[in-house]
Amino acid sequence: MRAYQDMVFSTAVRLTANPAQAEDISQDVFLRAYQHFEQLRSSPKVGGWLKTVATNLTLNHLTRHRKRWRLFSEVFSDDSREEELESAAAVFDNVLAELETEERRARVEQALERLPDHQRVPLVLYHYEEMPYQDIADRLGISLAKVKTDILRGRVAMASLLAPSGVGAPSERRRSPSALRGTQS
Amino acid sequence: MSSRDPSEEKLERLVSQVLRDQPLRRAPASLEMRVLGELAARARLPWWRRGIAAWPAAVRIPVIVGCAVCVPLVWILSLWLAGHLVSLATHPGIAGPIATLWDTGHAVASLGSLTAHILQSIPREWLVGGIIATTALYAALFALVAAGFWLLCSRPEHSKAHLT
Repeated sequence: MRAYQDMVFSTAVRLTANPAQAEDISQDVFLRAYQHFEQLRSSPKVGGWLKTVATNLTLNHLTRHRKRWRLFSEVFSDDSREEELESAAAVFDNVLAELETEERRARVEQALERLPDHQRVPLVLYHYEEMPYQDIADRLGISLAKVKTDILRGRVAMASLLAPSGVGAPSERRRSPSALRGTQS
Repeated sequence: MSSRDPSEEKLERLVSQVLRDQPLRRAPASLEMRVLGELAARARLPWWRRGIAAWPAAVRIPVIVGCAVCVPLVWILSLWLAGHLVSLATHPGIAGPIATLWDTGHAVASLGSLTAHILQSIPREWLVGGIIATTALYAALFALVAAGFWLLCSRPEHSKAHLT
């Protein structure tokens, strides 16, 4: 268990952005693993099994609140402009590189946690779990276009949260490109 | 945005790199204790308070077989009882009450004939469907009881968590 508990907890906490819920889910994952102990004990795929179960249980947990973030997902239109994308890329490219490892880790975690569910969940599934867009859409029960939009806006929102001058709230992520650029100086 | 432009691709690549470079989050120290505590609590439960899958085979198999046999048994028992009632009707000690019952039966007969008429008017497929539905309901009832038992009795912490 010790070998996998960080991986299981990380999977859950990145999706939920809630350490207490992630701990509950992690506990459930290991209890299920114990039920399959005989099959898993000698299996080389135990890590993958635990990760899959952790992801599924977390998504099941989040699905109970799906209507809420689905609604918010509908609110934002897809109007990312090229300057905004470039500014966001610059944050990831330059600003983070200047930070110490530990500070960078903390700030990225914090930014991820502060993203709204409808952006964070598909973003985590895409980047951490390496799920294709279509699989994410199927799993979350939303359209492919919405998944792409939410992920893209999530990246931009993360950049705005990571920008040095203002770790702004997610609601501020739609500020103008000039404002975003201003945070990089 | 349906077409992928270079800035979008660049942003995706950078975000991927940053996120994948993130180390794993350290699990709380309490997690291991919680899991071990829950396992110990489950191990202390008597077998009959665990899920049916954890029941000893000597108990589980008879329960499953008993449930499966229950429906035809009740059916056969009803037929057997009905047959014996007819023969008992001729016994002197029982003839009186049976006669009263017979009179009542006459009153009910009209209702019965109406029921029979309705039954005869029901297509055979519907009757077969009804039998299948009854069987399915029995199976569903068994599954519900098992699931309810498992949820409410064998997982007390979960039940508590839902309540709170």
